[in-house]
Amino acid sequence: MSLVRFVSTRPGPWLWLLSLLAGSAVLAGGGAAVQAEIRVTDDSHREVRLAEPAHRIVSLSPHLTELLFEVGAGDRIVGTVSFSDHPEAARQIPRVGNAGQLDLERILALQPDLVVAWRSGNPARQVARLEALGLTVYYNEPRRLSDLADTLERLAVLTGSSETGAAQAAQLRERSRKLATRYAHRPAVPLFYQIWDDPLMTVNDQHLIGELIALCGGKNLFGELPALVPRLSREAVLAADPEVIVGGGSGEDNRAWVDGWRRWSGLTAVRRDNLFFIPPSLIQRQTPRILDGAEMLCEYLDEARARRPETAP
Amino acid sequence: MSGRLATILSVLCLAAAAAIGISLMLGSVPVSPVDVGTVLTGGGDPLHQALVLELRLPRTLAAFATGGLLAVAGALMQVLLRNPLADPYVLGISGGAAVGALLSMLAGLATAVVSGAAFAGALLSTLLVFGLAHGTGSWTPVRLLLTGVVVAAGWGALISFILAVAPGAELPGMLYWLMGDLSHARHPGPAWIVLAIVVLLAWPLGRSLNVLARGALQAAALGVSVRPLEWIVYLLAAVLTATAVTLAGTVGFVGLIVPHMLRLVLGNDQRIILPAAALAGGILLTLADTLSRTVIAPQQLPVGVITALLGVPVFLYLLHRSR
Repeated sequence: MSLVRFVSTRPGPWLWLLSLLAGSAVLAGGGAAVQAEIRVTDDSHREVRLAEPAHRIVSLSPHLTELLFEVGAGDRIVGTVSFSDHPEAARQIPRVGNAGQLDLERILALQPDLVVAWRSGNPARQVARLEALGLTVYYNEPRRLSDLADTLERLAVLTGSSETGAAQAAQLRERSRKLATRYAHRPAVPLFYQIWDDPLMTVNDQHLIGELIALCGGKNLFGELPALVPRLSREAVLAADPEVIVGGGSGEDNRAWVDGWRRWSGLTAVRRDNLFFIPPSLIQRQTPRILDGAEMLCEYLDEARARRPETAP
Repeated sequence: MSGRLATILSVLCLAAAAAIGISLMLGSVPVSPVDVGTVLTGGGDPLHQALVLELRLPRTLAAFATGGLLAVAGALMQVLLRNPLADPYVLGISGGAAVGALLSMLAGLATAVVSGAAFAGALLSTLLVFGLAHGTGSWTPVRLLLTGVVVAAGWGALISFILAVAPGAELPGMLYWLMGDLSHARHPGPAWIVLAIVVLLAWPLGRSLNVLARGALQAAALGVSVRPLEWIVYLLAAVLTATAVTLAGTVGFVGLIVPHMLRLVLGNDQRIILPAAALAGGILLTLADTLSRTVIAPQQLPVGVITALLGVPVFLYLLHRSR
């Protein structure tokens, strides 16, 4: 804070932030232990630089909060958004709005040295505003499982715990590789993944869940659709006649969406009782827990294979 | 008349200054009145400087300008169409702006482009309605109103279509834009200039507008050249509305209710109503935006939610009190 006082006579209201950054760089450079600058490329292909590991982090998405806890930087999060509920300690972190609408005043008042943002989930204009106000922003946009591991590594570098991050990332890669060798080449199971009920929505092959489906040897019947999260009619699902219907629900233990399909007793998935529920927090959040969801999915698909009549192909 | 006008405007100016002051003081991070004063005179804590000068001041000024623009536009539309239900959006200007803004958001374009597209959409809709209402026959308020309402319905269909096909990630931003949102407003300068110019241009027309409000025939009989006057009023209202939606999206309610409130309190003299609407609309929206930032902070509400919650009881009280 002494630096802040030092520049307080300057007229430009944003100058203090720049001065603060410049000042700490000078201190780091001028001190006895010359510290190397931290550089990381984010998912917007921009270089994020920090003079020293981040100590005051604002996380703008529940999944980023979770990833920061994974690399051991949970206690450095000074602010996060609504629905950051995992792990338990995340519930105690002060809130700075929800991912879709941020409270810029509160973020600024927390004086973070790093803001981790979710590119497709946060309002671009608000995050750009934070940057304009002098804050350092890391943009995250995980699309594939490999991106998750990369994110763990990068967040670890930014928070000065690169060894933990490397170990976590290696574990994640190993788990997904094991799943793939075990399940990916088993007989394909045509399936429909229901991510939302009204309107009815699914995912395509580009979606992270689409990758999990492929990992488990499933065949997403709507994987070729252009939209990442296509909206569908129920007729389209009836016409495609999936062997398996997998869905989340609004809530962690709510089978209502998948059980709704029982009305159509002619569906193969209904006849063979292949209606499976996976808690949304396990599969719809981009964190290592997604592999728990993936393991469930793989086992369900195996169950479905076991229920195939002898004569079926 | 001029004495009364001066009194009313001074009272409103004081209220406006108070509203702006309150808006600068309140936020999810408390800043004391003394600190706000220090910051405004060029000193103060750097954090307070950033909060007040970078975040609150542009937004407060944008809220005030938007409210003023919409209230004046509403007052003009109500006189032009001689319909108490008319508001700045009734002729489809906001619909055109919304389609422009939403399409550019769908394409993932930058903020400046979204604003530009909104303004272009508003102008396009204005010209479209103007041209179609002109048609082959005569140019009457009823014809203008019907054309505008139908064009607005067309825009509404396009808006629904865009919302239906938009990817989920874009939807919150689009909905906030449609509900009216000041969190992105950064450069209120042009809006203030437009507001000042239009009020100055419209004020001398006040006497003619008073006559026009009683009907075109009476106005013509009293020597007002009705047709050019109506065109000018339409054009001015369109420019005001386009500027407002470009800055803040489609903030509802202000343009409909503020002119009515003022008429209930001050009487229906456009020479008073127009400048008073500029100030009263600004006050209402400034206060509403302050509440929207703070009432359930850190969650942020779109300002349109608060405008109606604040304005409905006040309006009903005034209506109930009047004879």
